[in-house]
Amino acid sequence: MTSTLAPTQERRPGPRLQPGRLLIYAVLIAWCALSIFPLLWMVGTSLKPITEPIGGLNSMIPNAPTLSNYVKVSTLLPLARNTLNSVIVATTSTLITVFLCALAGFAFAKYEFPGKTWLFFLLIGTMLIPPEAGLVPTFLIMRKLGWINTYWSLIIPRAATAIGIFYMRQYITSFPTEVMEQARLDGCGEFRIFWNLVLPVVTPALAAWATLAFIARWNDFMYPLLFMTTKTMYTLMVSISKLPVSESLSTPWPVIMAGSVIAVFPLIMIYLVLQRFQVTGLQVGAVKG
Amino acid sequence: MARNGLLHRIWNNRIVYLFISPFYILFLIFGLFPILWSFYLTFHEWNGLSPMTPVGLGNYAALLRDTTFHEALANTTIYWIVDIVFTLSLALILASLLHNAWLRGGKAFKITLFLPYVTATVAVGLVFNMIFDFNSGLINSILKDLSLTPQPWLNSTGLSKIPVMVLNVWRVTPWYMLIIFSGLQAINPEFYEAATVDGANAFHKLFYITIPSLAPILFFCFLTETIDSFRIFTEPFVMTSGGPGSSSLSIVLYLYRSGFQIFKMGYASTIAYALTFILLIIAAAQIFFLRKQGSGLAEGSQ
Repeated sequence: MTSTLAPTQERRPGPRLQPGRLLIYAVLIAWCALSIFPLLWMVGTSLKPITEPIGGLNSMIPNAPTLSNYVKVSTLLPLARNTLNSVIVATTSTLITVFLCALAGFAFAKYEFPGKTWLFFLLIGTMLIPPEAGLVPTFLIMRKLGWINTYWSLIIPRAATAIGIFYMRQYITSFPTEVMEQARLDGCGEFRIFWNLVLPVVTPALAAWATLAFIARWNDFMYPLLFMTTKTMYTLMVSISKLPVSESLSTPWPVIMAGSVIAVFPLIMIYLVLQRFQVTGLQVGAVKG
Repeated sequence: MARNGLLHRIWNNRIVYLFISPFYILFLIFGLFPILWSFYLTFHEWNGLSPMTPVGLGNYAALLRDTTFHEALANTTIYWIVDIVFTLSLALILASLLHNAWLRGGKAFKITLFLPYVTATVAVGLVFNMIFDFNSGLINSILKDLSLTPQPWLNSTGLSKIPVMVLNVWRVTPWYMLIIFSGLQAINPEFYEAATVDGANAFHKLFYITIPSLAPILFFCFLTETIDSFRIFTEPFVMTSGGPGSSSLSIVLYLYRSGFQIFKMGYASTIAYALTFILLIIAAAQIFFLRKQGSGLAEGSQ
């Protein structure tokens, strides 16, 4: 399914520089510049001594680059611990959610069972309800469960998401049913079919979904803001959001930017490692969506 | 007999129900249960500690009179409209440009264009705050270089929504670009070839092939972006704290403040229900509109 969908218009042998094409390149390059620019600006500023001006375009590159802002920011906040919290929460929830979404997606894609249509309809319907609808009681539930200031409060509620199940179902539908029947004849159980046969085939979709889930969990802000109440349990997002005014002093921009770099860097790394799966993975989801 | 047959089939599929059960169990505990409890809270005044006071429809009446809520609702609607218009049209344009078969370096373009989505909202919120800063921000220093008046972007009631919207459009556009791009790749190229044979120009192709074929995907983008922009919280929280005054306050930020800063938990739940109600109305309207468009859209979905 994937390979046949690649654009079939053949590539012309040589680059022909027509004005229209140049314009398209220009627009794309301009938007690429706008996409990277704030990130470069962030890194540049984070390397400036706090005495250097941060305004004008001419000050893009620091005159005397220094790492002192990174040292300063880690004395202001327990950043190592906050990063660890974010890594634990984002990684654990990504692994769990990829597993549970693939498993449920597999069930919806490959089995006929009573109530399937209604259960799927319900699943899609939950996407229309904003999670904030139950925000106050969710907090009370976490308090009752004793999950305030624990990782559970951030991992468990989002362990299986409707959109993830929907997405995995789209992808797994094209898995050949005959292979499953053959495996059953060979005495393979349904979970073994999922684990040994289906999962290896859908790795691109898993990686694509894992990337998106990781970005979403890393970015989570309201839940950790509510459920984590001590500085050492803050996630990186909550911690750096407190930077502009920490210890009731306003923090210099270069120090804030050092914190921002620390928060953005892991995501970009993960993306660059996993991005090769992204287009193929998402493609199939969109085709049948 | 039929009933036994049904039970039998359910029993035979027990492992399948087990596979799908985690979502439904979690939804019951962390979705449905809080939503129902929240509904109960809307009829009470409660600070989370002392006993609840039943107030009937008092919270709803207060909400209708609450000018801060009105302002949050108006701001959020502006965020929504601006996000939809800019995000989706930019995403459509970029995706169409990337879809050109002759394009060299398409992959490098795609990776670069997607980067804003792979950033941490809080962190880039701070970056945009610095860029929009009155005294030392880049935008004002460019304005000064051009002999224009620097603007108090984050500190004026008239302008404070702009940095929030710029951040949101910047960060979310790549996501929809990728989805629309995947949709473009799925359109059968033979349609275009046939149209060319029939003498159609680029304009015809756009309106008679590309947009109808993309309709289901554009609908999906519209619906998800509507829900997401009505839920906007992190951007105004980090950049402006909803201020100055309530000029950039969003519904969810107001909900957060009411529930967790001044501890009016019944009132906060009422705000949450108002948000849900608005979103359900919009979703219903969109689905109704889609139905009315009828089979034309269904054909496009191949």
